[in-house]
Amino acid sequence: MLMLTKDRALALAMMLMAGIMLVESGNIPPPNSWQPYGSALFPRILLVVVGALSLLILIRSLLAGARRADTPRRTFPQWLAHNRTVLGLFLLFGLYTVLLPLVGYIAATLGFLIVAFALLMGIDTRRKWIINLAVSGILVPLVYVIFRFGLNVWLP
Amino acid sequence: MADFFLQALGQVGSPMVLALITIGVLFGIIGGCIPGFTVTMAILVVFPFTFAMDPVSGVSLMVGVFVGGYSGGLVSGVMLGIPGTPSSITTVYDGYPMAQKGEPGRALGIGVAASFLGTLISVAVLVFFGPLIASYSMKFRPWEITSLIVFALTLVAGLSNGAMLKGLLAAALGLLITTVGYDRNSNLRFDFDLPALGSGFEILPVMIGIFAFSQLMGNLEKLRDDKSDIKEVNTNVEIPYRKILLDMSRQKINTLRSSLIGSLVGALPGTGGTVANFISYDQAKKFSRHPEKFGTGTPDGIVASEASNSAVAGGAFVPTLALGIPGDLPMAIMMGVLILHGITPGPLMFEQNPVLVGAIYVSLLIGAVIMVLCQLLLVRWFAKISLIPQQVLVPVVLMLCAVGAFALNNNLFDVWVLFIFGILGYLLWKAEVPLTPLILGVVLGDNMERQLFRALELDSSWLTFLTRPLSALFLALAVASLIFSLYQNRKIRLQALATKGGDA
Repeated sequence: MLMLTKDRALALAMMLMAGIMLVESGNIPPPNSWQPYGSALFPRILLVVVGALSLLILIRSLLAGARRADTPRRTFPQWLAHNRTVLGLFLLFGLYTVLLPLVGYIAATLGFLIVAFALLMGIDTRRKWIINLAVSGILVPLVYVIFRFGLNVWLP
Repeated sequence: MADFFLQALGQVGSPMVLALITIGVLFGIIGGCIPGFTVTMAILVVFPFTFAMDPVSGVSLMVGVFVGGYSGGLVSGVMLGIPGTPSSITTVYDGYPMAQKGEPGRALGIGVAASFLGTLISVAVLVFFGPLIASYSMKFRPWEITSLIVFALTLVAGLSNGAMLKGLLAAALGLLITTVGYDRNSNLRFDFDLPALGSGFEILPVMIGIFAFSQLMGNLEKLRDDKSDIKEVNTNVEIPYRKILLDMSRQKINTLRSSLIGSLVGALPGTGGTVANFISYDQAKKFSRHPEKFGTGTPDGIVASEASNSAVAGGAFVPTLALGIPGDLPMAIMMGVLILHGITPGPLMFEQNPVLVGAIYVSLLIGAVIMVLCQLLLVRWFAKISLIPQQVLVPVVLMLCAVGAFALNNNLFDVWVLFIFGILGYLLWKAEVPLTPLILGVVLGDNMERQLFRALELDSSWLTFLTRPLSALFLALAVASLIFSLYQNRKIRLQALATKGGDA
């Protein structure tokens, strides 16, 4: 049975993206007398290159066969547990992006930093809590002051 | 030349700019000395602070980070035996053994002196070759510029260790990203009916997202998989100045050779400090009368490594300023700084912005002096700072990236761009796609499309790219770089097979 390796997943994802964008490139205004090459030519050249390279990666991967993984194969829950820190941080950053315009820089950033430190360092000792709150509490207003008064940038 | 140099000296010599260079150098050293943080990350973090500055102040701050960053890897390399940046790997070979023998101050002093001299020599290379190449490249027409960009991208993609196809794919993806939004003819492309995509993606959130997320998440994964204990560090360091002067007086040829190697390698696209580091160390060993002493704590090894990686800073400015083509990631970001301040790097920069070019020279020189003072006076603190855990560093850097992306245009869409490209960069990194060609593609995409169509508007035949000698030469070099890369990949594969066979 064919396995979905990293290279195959990459090649398939890129070919899918190139296909969608090629279809979408049909919406770009066509060439005319004063634009003989049109605006779609350059991206279409690139999409063909992306598609061709992806196809080569796929063929090479199929010819080479599935490489035996260096790390043991994991079930989805095991994989989730193994990568919980990285996934958690991505999720947290997404949430931070959503909350930034809603609750403002100070509250959103303070929340992001405290939860992110807790996720990465843990909260099992008093020392970790102190580091967490001290770094968050000092850094958030400091960055605000530098940007607002030093650089004249209004943060949300 | 003297006029604009003096003007630049006047501007950079102001207390405000000197303070900015000092801050830049300090932050660069801190960034360089924290393992896994890298010079590029330090530059990305400092970058948003230049938005509200005038070009000379902004560029001077960034140059300070460059100079400090390339020398910062020395501290953790000597004190912890862990290179702070990839460009200081070979510093560890001799710096750490010397420190273990009870001479950490001597190792650090030699490294700092070599870094200082390396930077000075590379500035001389930049001052001499920059205007020379720029004046020659004034003859370049759209065909040559397009072909040169193709060559730069294929070279960088080809140098992606054993992943040429993925490197080329990354470069094409980078170019593709720049086609989103309104083009030069005001036609809308790939907006997918989302009004926010109409203006396309800003280069900076894309670059920061792709690089920072993959790097930081990679650091966290490494931390998860590496359970080794945290090293203790003895920060009680005395610098034996007299001994260092004596050591350096015996290293004149080594310093010059290593600095020239660093400057040359820095000027080549896709190479940077890591390659310079290894080539220079290898050459120093070959030319040495005592090659057997390398790896045991000899000053020759530290000088070769530190002089070359610091010389990369000046060398890397040559193609960026003279041709408008950055050779590596830090330079791609530097080019972003210049573009943000309304300056287009390229041959015309020497004519249109001579004071700014002069300010870069002067900042490099002043930065080198400040670097020596900071390193010698604050080395104990840097050694302590290098122990800041990634668990504290990662959320802080992510937060600064978000604030920086927002501050660019006071636009929350840019924070979303940062996040989306952060996910994309991380996934591509997991799929072992090299990210440097992608980022270079993003930086060069607009110019490449503009030059390609200018060439076709002047002469509709595509064959002109092959009939103009210089353009044909660049394209031939592009093909040659791919063939060489294929040959290298094959060699690596055969060696791996042979090793496997031997093991069996």
